[in-house]
Amino acid sequence: MPVDKFANMEEKLWILEDLNMMYIRQIALSLQDSDIQKKIDHEIRMRDGACKLLAACSQRDQALEAAKSLQTCSTRIMAYMSELQRMKEAQVMQKVTRRSSDAGPMDDRLPCKGKVAISDLRIPLMWKDTEYFKNKGELHRCAVFCLLQLGGEIFDTDMVIVDRTLTDICFDNAIVFTDASPGFELRVELYSCCSEDDYSAGSTPRKLASKLSSSLGRSSGKKLRASMEPGACSPVSNGGASPLLLPVPSVPGPKYHLLAHTTLSLSHVQDSFRTHDLTISGNEECSYWLPLYGSVCCRLAAQPLCMTQQMMSGCLKVKQCGADPQSWTKVHAALKGSSLFCYHRQEDVEANVEPAFTIAINKETRIRASEKDPQSKVQNICVSNQYGGEEVTHTLTTDSREDTHRWMEAFWQHFYDMSQWKQCCDDLMKIELPSPRKPAPATPKQGSLYHEMVIESSDDLSSTVSDILARRLQELELRSQLGTSPTWMSLFEEDNPKSAGRPSPCTSRLSGRSPRTPHRFPRSPVSPHRCPQLGLLSSDVSLTSDSDSQCSTSPCSHHHNWPEPSNFSLSSSSPSRLRPRTLSLDAKLSTLRGRGYGGGGGTFQCPCQPPPSSLLVPIPISSCSPRSQRSTQTTLSCSSSTSSNSSSNSEGSHSPESSEGLPFSRPSPARRSLRNLRARLDPRNWLQSQV
Amino acid sequence: MSFVPGQPMCVVAQQIEIKKLRQGDHLILGFSIGGGIDQDPGQNPFSEDKTDKGIYVTRITPGGPAEAANLMMGDKILQVNGWDMTMVPHDKARKRLTNKKEDVVRLLVTRKTLEEAVKHSMGYPNQCH
Repeated sequence: MPVDKFANMEEKLWILEDLNMMYIRQIALSLQDSDIQKKIDHEIRMRDGACKLLAACSQRDQALEAAKSLQTCSTRIMAYMSELQRMKEAQVMQKVTRRSSDAGPMDDRLPCKGKVAISDLRIPLMWKDTEYFKNKGELHRCAVFCLLQLGGEIFDTDMVIVDRTLTDICFDNAIVFTDASPGFELRVELYSCCSEDDYSAGSTPRKLASKLSSSLGRSSGKKLRASMEPGACSPVSNGGASPLLLPVPSVPGPKYHLLAHTTLSLSHVQDSFRTHDLTISGNEECSYWLPLYGSVCCRLAAQPLCMTQQMMSGCLKVKQCGADPQSWTKVHAALKGSSLFCYHRQEDVEANVEPAFTIAINKETRIRASEKDPQSKVQNICVSNQYGGEEVTHTLTTDSREDTHRWMEAFWQHFYDMSQWKQCCDDLMKIELPSPRKPAPATPKQGSLYHEMVIESSDDLSSTVSDILARRLQELELRSQLGTSPTWMSLFEEDNPKSAGRPSPCTSRLSGRSPRTPHRFPRSPVSPHRCPQLGLLSSDVSLTSDSDSQCSTSPCSHHHNWPEPSNFSLSSSSPSRLRPRTLSLDAKLSTLRGRGYGGGGGTFQCPCQPPPSSLLVPIPISSCSPRSQRSTQTTLSCSSSTSSNSSSNSEGSHSPESSEGLPFSRPSPARRSLRNLRARLDPRNWLQSQV
Repeated sequence: MSFVPGQPMCVVAQQIEIKKLRQGDHLILGFSIGGGIDQDPGQNPFSEDKTDKGIYVTRITPGGPAEAANLMMGDKILQVNGWDMTMVPHDKARKRLTNKKEDVVRLLVTRKTLEEAVKHSMGYPNQCH
């Protein structure tokens, strides 16, 4: 029975765990180091608590947090146990060496310890651009956090939920490791867990799982299977500790997987931000996958103790070289950082008074013991520095040989520390101690970076275009009053007596059709008679008038054909040929012109929509030929008197369901829905509906 | 006629009953409406308060049922058959009016002139109610 086997396995694991714990305890006892033992016990208790919480919680967020603490506790336990084993090994080795050989020279200098702080972790992501802009589909979210390990200290950052609206994963925590040696290795691990709700399946029997996965579809099924694989409950990947050593109990719930890791050391320490490479584990198939750019930015700072604390202090007698041999200054000196501060009195050090003088002790300094002073039989210490090309030597002496020896020792140690901590000793790097953690302010869900970019353009294109056109029209009107206007203006003559004879639909059809065939647009024969002089195009006018009489009926008779070649020649020969206009400009022009020439004059109180929206209306209308006739007529006479409107209305164009302001015959459903959508979606519209 | 959404409002209203006219397959009322909470109230030419997102009558078809019932252009529709129209999206308003199952709509409308008329009538103490 699979179920029994499973239970059996679990039991075995528990037994093994108990045995391991006993072993650990034995080691700890033998080492007489109860400290680590206490820590391990503490972590195990925490871990049990996290397991219980995970089993008990119902909310996704809680589960993720609990899983995170579980992961952290497991990692810590692993680390402590490895530490314990190493200590045990070291002890054994020491015993062995002590027995076998004499203790070697025990004057291996150990560099001083220091504080290492890592802060402002930022991991950039590399989403495909389609994911940003299309923004379709469900938001694939992952919960991520970082584990930072240095020596025996393991810290975790806060958990961050990442989806494709984020460009970087940012961890605001600043983490300070207090006991680091110069050869430290700071291991940064990024764990992530898929945050979809469906996959926190428990121990679903395999058969059901396979059935589910096959019916769920390939990608989601794959995810489900991946999340339920026994590999998913593998213990932490930290170190090389054997997996059976305190395996993580398989608790149903979200599980974190290692997504990326890197190791930082002294060479990466700098007082500013730096980018480091990440090693990414996992691939696109994993549920916890995130498209990482492959690097991590952070600020890694180190404060060696030699820079922050007094390494040595005591009484000294200082004499500057070249001065009077008897002018010894008695000072209380303190060696700290890259200087030897000399105070007059010891109390001055506490009182934060400025030192009397300061002797630099840095990499450039040379210190040597001088020959024995014949008077005091004590060696002097000569400290030489280069101050701007000049060598300045201070001679220090103490009261006794032991003191001198101690000072020399201190100096050597200091030099050794500086050589070990390298760039950290140039200047003191600032490390901010993390303030007591405040609950993170509830920020609203971060929008996409692209949505946050505000583009301050209050003027939309069409209004500027209409402004330009209006101005041009005004100019043209002035010109027409003077008797000069381009031929194409005549196209929009509404109250042209000459054109009265011409059936009006032709006119509208012309202009309605014009957008579609822009290259044929200009100078159709529509009453050029009205404009006897045309200024620039005067020569052309005559041409037009001639041809006009010929093809005066052409627009009407030719349903689809365009005017004669004569018109073509006209257009081609015109000096200032009008370039083909775009759809919207034409419509715009026509409406503006139509409005200017409102039928019957009077105040233009058109209940119809403001110009921008009328832009929308003609476009789809003119592209649909069957209806174009009546609709374009209405377009042109947008401003025309109510009578024409009502006439067209009462003609039977009752469209109860239309949501356009202009009454027209009931359009085909597809067109109407398209238009409806466009009109409705345009925020400039003030919709009016006919009921 | 301006009002604060959520606050009770006091207006003089008139009840108008419009019988729908059957035109072939459609029932028409013979007027157009504009406005709605999803529309830009600044473009409403009839409203006094340019933040008013109510439904206004923007056009009356001459000879239609609405004209016959004395609905006027610029009227603000407060209710349609008991349904509120002061806080509805445009399409909802349209749908309330064009319900095919209803032959008659009873509108509660208000206009500025109504208020003035009432004030005027109240100004004359001799006027009997």
